[in-house]
Amino acid sequence: MTRTAVRRIAAAGVGCALLVTGTTLWAQSAPEPETSDVVKMEPPKPDWFFVDGGWNMPGTSIFDGGTGKMKGMVETRRLADFAMDPSGKYYYVSETIWSKGDRGTRQDMVSIYDTVDLKLQAEIAIPGRILIGSRKNNFIVSGDGKFAYIYNFNPTSLVNVVDLSRRKFVAEIELPGCASLMPNPGVGFSALCSDGTIATVAVNGTKSAITHGDPFFSATDDPIFDNFTYDKAKNQTIFLSYTGLIYTATMGPSPTVSKPFSIQAAAGIRPGETKPLELNWYPGGRQPMALHRPSGHLFVLMHMGEYWSHKASGSEVWEIDLGAQKVVKRHVLEEPMNNIEVSQSAKPLLFLNGEEGTAVVIDTANWEQKHKIEQAGAGTITVAGAS
Amino acid sequence: MRKFDADAMGERLLRRFAGGTSRRGILARIGTALVAAPAFPLLPVSRADAAKPDRSPEAKTAFARSAQSKDDTKCDYWRYCAIDGALCTCCGGGIHSCPAGAEPSPVSWVGTCINPDDGKAYLIAYRDCCGKPACGQCNCDNTDRETQLYMPQLNNDVIWCFGTSSMEYHCSTAVLVGAAS
Repeated sequence: MTRTAVRRIAAAGVGCALLVTGTTLWAQSAPEPETSDVVKMEPPKPDWFFVDGGWNMPGTSIFDGGTGKMKGMVETRRLADFAMDPSGKYYYVSETIWSKGDRGTRQDMVSIYDTVDLKLQAEIAIPGRILIGSRKNNFIVSGDGKFAYIYNFNPTSLVNVVDLSRRKFVAEIELPGCASLMPNPGVGFSALCSDGTIATVAVNGTKSAITHGDPFFSATDDPIFDNFTYDKAKNQTIFLSYTGLIYTATMGPSPTVSKPFSIQAAAGIRPGETKPLELNWYPGGRQPMALHRPSGHLFVLMHMGEYWSHKASGSEVWEIDLGAQKVVKRHVLEEPMNNIEVSQSAKPLLFLNGEEGTAVVIDTANWEQKHKIEQAGAGTITVAGAS
Repeated sequence: MRKFDADAMGERLLRRFAGGTSRRGILARIGTALVAAPAFPLLPVSRADAAKPDRSPEAKTAFARSAQSKDDTKCDYWRYCAIDGALCTCCGGGIHSCPAGAEPSPVSWVGTCINPDDGKAYLIAYRDCCGKPACGQCNCDNTDRETQLYMPQLNNDVIWCFGTSSMEYHCSTAVLVGAAS
């Protein structure tokens, strides 16, 4: 046998051995056939934020502010309103659909999804609801989670009362000249009115009684943004006006409103004015303010402009210590933002999005931008524990 | 033989009418008409009362100072001082005309806008055209004297397609109602 022949036999032997070994290895590591399954979610966490898709995108996307990753989506269609069960068991969607797409029989309802499987649990039919979008206070849930109040405008001004624990529509209350609802525990709810007052609606089953406080703002000259915030622990509502006045209302059978202070004066500059040609910093956007309830700090989107620029996106975020009535931080944003929310955790994270639907997460500990998420949604933002 | 039986004719008409309608539907329509009809004529009037406008150049808003009167397909056209949405002039319609197949809303929000040609203020009714998907062309959002939802006649975010066969928003027109003062 020549040396070449010996080499060939040896090579063949090694090859066979490798083949056998390889086959054995493949057989040992063959992947199991996969089956399709569905993820279960955790109940809402303090650092999660919920972004409405806005006019152009359906769905409310859930993001983890810590990781910047999407966790899931709640089904919301255009102009739907989103709210959360305070105990974290359910997501509530106030929505309108038609039997033939956008025509046919109109159906208005509160749809209930559980927060673990995100499955539809119930639909509660209601007589109607306003179609507007980008409003946080047309669909509110009472602090104990038992009742929902849904604003309707047809074009008469009405509020629907829904018993969430019994999952039943209870009553429709006419509320002329008022809208933008806020919880009022033990009483019912309150609303802002065109005569500059707060209306308080005492609800007792299907019966209701409406009272008005004294006028404290001008609905035509210096309106209050209807995306105001409510603090359940303090039972207070914080209002912000177009010129930059900050009011605190303490809720109750007859809510009282504090003397306002100017956000600009709190930053050491001249207060905002209603006159044209007065270039100044003004609050603006769709959801222009967010309240960190544990610290009593308010975060406001601010832009440079003239009066009546109240929808302009903010180029800065101002942090206000409400107790001290001082602006303690002015942060310049990388790009203008239209909606703002803040986590209610000990180390607050800011969540913002712009008109193009890009969201960012900013850590208020060092004001660094932690995450930037394209196509997150351009609508309003919701967080857990914010009511 | 009777040639003309008014009773029988009336009965036939009523029976046909009753067969094709529901009481609830009729009530709803009458209710809508009752609510909508008084609302619209009052809106500009109440705005005129509330405005008490100062017409000096110094009192003009940023929009009014740069508004033009030549091209109604642009957001800075003078009548659009408080419009929000797609301009019907860019969607096959006109300044007071809905595009074919769309339906004008009988109620609207209003604005008080200054015409740069004569320096006078006019009441503008922003009537939505309804019943088709959002046009998407020439989207504008001007906010002169635009307020919040508790004053809905001055809010430009509400879908104003009330009293129309569909509430789907298509585009917005800017109808001249009259002089503001």
